[in-house]
Amino acid sequence: MSLVMSGAPARKKAVPRKSRKKRSTFDTTLGRAMLQLLGVAIFFALWEAGVHAGYISAFLMGSPSGIFATSYKLILSGELLSDSWYTLFEAILGFIIGTIFGSLFGLALWYSVFVAKLVEPFIVAINSVPKIALAPIVVLWFGTGLISKIALAVSLTALVALIAAYQAAKDADVDLQSLMISMGADKHQVFWKAVVPSTLPSIIATFRINIGFGLVGAVVGEFISSQRGLGHMIFLASSLYDLNSVWVGLFTLMILGFVLYYVIDIIERTLLPWKQATTSHQVQV
Amino acid sequence: MPPKQIQLTVQNISKSFAGKGGDFNVLDDLTFTINESDFVSIIGPSGCGKTTIFNIIAGLLEPDGGTITYRGEEIESLRGRVGYMMQKDLLFPWRTVMGNVLLGLETRGVDQKEAEEKAREYLKQFGLAGFENAYPKTLSGGMRQRVALIRTLIMDPDILLLDEPFSALDYQTRLYLEGVLKDAVQTYNKTVILVTHDIDEAVALSKRVVVLSGRPARVKVVHEIDIEATSPITARNDVKFSTYFKTLCAELDIQTEKTS
Ligand SMILES: Nc1ncnc2c1ncn2[C@@H]1O[C@H](COP(=O)(O)OP(=O)(O)OP(=O)(O)O)[C@@H](O)[C@H]1O
Ligand SMILES: [Mg+2]
Repeated sequence: MSLVMSGAPARKKAVPRKSRKKRSTFDTTLGRAMLQLLGVAIFFALWEAGVHAGYISAFLMGSPSGIFATSYKLILSGELLSDSWYTLFEAILGFIIGTIFGSLFGLALWYSVFVAKLVEPFIVAINSVPKIALAPIVVLWFGTGLISKIALAVSLTALVALIAAYQAAKDADVDLQSLMISMGADKHQVFWKAVVPSTLPSIIATFRINIGFGLVGAVVGEFISSQRGLGHMIFLASSLYDLNSVWVGLFTLMILGFVLYYVIDIIERTLLPWKQATTSHQVQV
Repeated sequence: MPPKQIQLTVQNISKSFAGKGGDFNVLDDLTFTINESDFVSIIGPSGCGKTTIFNIIAGLLEPDGGTITYRGEEIESLRGRVGYMMQKDLLFPWRTVMGNVLLGLETRGVDQKEAEEKAREYLKQFGLAGFENAYPKTLSGGMRQRVALIRTLIMDPDILLLDEPFSALDYQTRLYLEGVLKDAVQTYNKTVILVTHDIDEAVALSKRVVVLSGRPARVKVVHEIDIEATSPITARNDVKFSTYFKTLCAELDIQTEKTS
């Protein structure tokens, strides 16, 4: 080795260490955003081109330029905003009520193994019903107004939260609870200081799923009967073959879901600061 | 020297667990005593029931039979009066260092301000000042163990039950923490029962070492350790250290031959 080193001229360049992977210039927040936008732009450009060339029926599929014009019109008239607010309100309220009641009930089951075992098969049975199938009855019971949409959103979200909370409470670290008992803590203290905090990550994880379910409940409720909301707008437009309006409604829902997802991200980070230390540090493979 | 007063008596304790092939005895007729301000190490083969003894004393498990007597009074368990440091460090991940230290005082309903003041004193003494708001995930193993130790001491328990508190640490940290423990125990005049697999540690720290036999656990022999040393490190240099060490090794070796 040393002979080669001293004798031969240093012609070979130092080989970069394999482990130090070179990051692509696009591997930054801005770079990724640009690539993502580019992808979306290409998608719409191909769609528009397809419509112009006659390969895609504007009647059945709509067209990006038509969607753009329609959304401009709907924004100016204020319809889009008021419909969005209405649906958003139903979804969020349903989500909050369903999540709170579901989580509380699921957590409360920790208190009594007997009661938990008693109600478990019922929870499983109710959960196995596709809740969307309840929509017509819910409208029958709660009318065509706001309440029925919220009720539907609650029915979709509550059981998800309940099952997650119950499971997490069951799985809460027994040693932490034992430690508290050895300190002389009573059952309530064990519940509030050991069980509840350890279930929070699981409960918050259901927020992501449930905020989507909240929107599903609101929109389906509006499909069935409503005078307002994005679901109503989509339903009405599609019965009139106004595909551009349908797309505007769908894209708006998509944006709402997207924003809500990130709102929950922020909520998660503020509620679980102790998780950050671990999750933000991913292992590079 | 004043006469030794008995603080805790564990008498004829037995415990069996349900296993695949029927019940198996873990503790059978186990008896030992702990004096006031004692420092007793319990050593014995793995799985012989040392943690089970602690769980019974701490009131987490009910014994099948036997009695526990505390300062002359028969009691169910010492729940709420022991400082139990479990085999894992068991910090609450969602609580900061301060929050973890305060756990016991909170459950006891001690005034928040008073408790925090006390906690700060301890943290300073254990070299953790400035880490009050750190989460356990960001601490080193030795630091976590110190937090767990403070959490145990700050409750001012009558007896400390330490279940292999330093076994997961490197030798240097362990030596350091042994010193911290010994100092703290002397300062606060505590009684300690220490479970350890480390004979070296048992001899360096204890006044007495209880050797348990394999399942079902019985007290095989109790050794008085007569080393007057200021720290666990100087104790290791004592002339009698290696004699005790060898005797205890032999004690355990014979046992393993017998049981296996
Ligand atoms: N809750 C339980 N249910 C059934 N068996 C148990 C239970 N707890 C302990 N055991 C069994 O009792 C025996 C003694 O366990 P214990 O934890 O007291 O051992 P140990 O002496 O602390 O061992 P180690 O030194 O490895 O920590 C083991 O065989 C264990 O499998
Ligand atoms: Mg053990």
